[in-house]
Amino acid sequence: MGRTGFTAGEVVRQAILIALGLLALFPLYFTTVNSFKDRVQYAENLLNVPTRLHPENYALAWAQVQGPLVNSVVVTVTSVLATLILASLSAYAFALMDFPGRHLLFALTFALLLVPDFLTLIPLYVQIRNLTLPSNYLAIILPTVAVGQPFAILVLRAAFEAIPRDMLEAARLDGAGHLQLLRRIVLPISLPVLISVAIIRLVPVWNEYLLPSLVLDEAHRTLPVALVNFQGGGAATAVTPNYGALMASYVLAAVPLLVLFAFLMRYYIQGVTSGGVKG
Amino acid sequence: MTALPGFRSGSAASRSVLTRLRRNWPAYLFLLPTLLLVGYFAYYPAYIAVTRAFTDWDGLNTPNFTGLDNFRRAVTDPVMGEATKNMGIWVVLGTLLALVMPLIVAELVFHLRGRRRQYAYRTLFVIPIVIPSLVLLLVWGDFYRSDGLLNQLLGAVGLGGLRHEWLGDPHTALYALIFLGFPYIDAFNFLLLYAGLQAIPEDVFDAAKIDGATGLRRVLRVDLPLLRPQLGLIAMLAIIGNVQYYISPLVLTSGGPGYATTVPALLMFQTARRDGDFGYAMAIAFLLMLLVVVLTLLSRLISRGNR
Repeated sequence: MGRTGFTAGEVVRQAILIALGLLALFPLYFTTVNSFKDRVQYAENLLNVPTRLHPENYALAWAQVQGPLVNSVVVTVTSVLATLILASLSAYAFALMDFPGRHLLFALTFALLLVPDFLTLIPLYVQIRNLTLPSNYLAIILPTVAVGQPFAILVLRAAFEAIPRDMLEAARLDGAGHLQLLRRIVLPISLPVLISVAIIRLVPVWNEYLLPSLVLDEAHRTLPVALVNFQGGGAATAVTPNYGALMASYVLAAVPLLVLFAFLMRYYIQGVTSGGVKG
Repeated sequence: MTALPGFRSGSAASRSVLTRLRRNWPAYLFLLPTLLLVGYFAYYPAYIAVTRAFTDWDGLNTPNFTGLDNFRRAVTDPVMGEATKNMGIWVVLGTLLALVMPLIVAELVFHLRGRRRQYAYRTLFVIPIVIPSLVLLLVWGDFYRSDGLLNQLLGAVGLGGLRHEWLGDPHTALYALIFLGFPYIDAFNFLLLYAGLQAIPEDVFDAAKIDGATGLRRVLRVDLPLLRPQLGLIAMLAIIGNVQYYISPLVLTSGGPGYATTVPALLMFQTARRDGDFGYAMAIAFLLMLLVVVLTLLSRLISRGNR
């Protein structure tokens, strides 16, 4: 290409894009500036950058949010790692092994994409309540791992199938077993794909609200559940909450994803645009 | 060729099933954790949901078979009727929002000059993904309050007469929830359309240029037809997603005022959680699932017919 001129059309296009991009980021700006205001400043003006900052809002928010933040990190990291490990094993079997029932079992895993969440939510809630792990991280980790399997297996299977056979044959002749092949060759080669899958799965698990709100007790509560509780029943209530602290808690909730995407943004973009997701 | 049991190779097909079963035990071992998990946390609850729809289950005691009673109730329930109407509006408007803005942005970014410039703007529209979806929801809940941003802005530009309790008025509550999240540029949909544009061969654009199709005419004549697979996928996902969606009415309005923002999925949730009527809730879920399946099959048929 190489044409990088500034024609009138190009300027207009970029202006529109910058405006839209800023609007899309506006909630981030709004929460950040207002997280530093006290009640009076908040009531006066919602848009300006405060001249006197109130960082104590963050201390207040942190006290409310630190437990749930840790819970969310524990749940999300464990869930995504377990999703990858189990899906790698399954994808290896589906991609590189030949066994009776291969197609049937693959269809069975894949058909899971057609089971809607709202159908299983209430039975899951009853089921988990009757297990011995109702107020435990596992109550949310195990179901989210199950939900993540079809997508992860689908993408990883395609990646594993693309690995040159010569390489695997050579390792086999050296006496490597399936687990060694998976660990020494298949997984290292597929690292970019693994990261893509991880980050694409991570976003919905981090944002998950319904099931955690049903099955987790206060000590294991995740961030989305805590934010709704902190808000105090939504916008319809009459009580005016401490908006500064509220906004500070929203900012804190966005920080982990912000840090993560600062490093791994391109894997997310590659993952979505590479075609693995198109199904 | 047989250095390792269970490895996929050409001669495998000639062996008997029993030998293959025995030789390939590692494969089943690899699949076991996934199958157990999926069976217990996905297929079993789905089975419970479907079978309990025909009972008077309360979530605790043994359910009694009541035949089609729950379904009869769902079909005649006026609340369910209103919820279905709300869902219809939501699906139509929600699908339009999911298509239009990401398409406009994908077109604008794709036709920028220079790879690096495109890359920079593409990144800009993916960054908002760092905002947790619930934070976006709650912030917009604040925008809609009587002392919120929306009313302040209206007052500032001299449209104070339009000030509103957006979520409290039955006439605006549903639309306020649907139109939450301006400018509606979903990162996933945007990337899908952008990748679709990139996949169009350069000669197609060159040919269009020679034929005099530029600007909006090229978008309509060339880009849109070639983007049909991506647009179809986004539409299907948006329709199915919006049929199931109920988090914002649950968190912001509890389905109110009255039943103005109640949708069937929310009704399902509240019937189970608030009223303890799990059997009826599962009947509603069952009907919704049928709708999702029918819509999925329909979209498959349509996309196949187009090919």
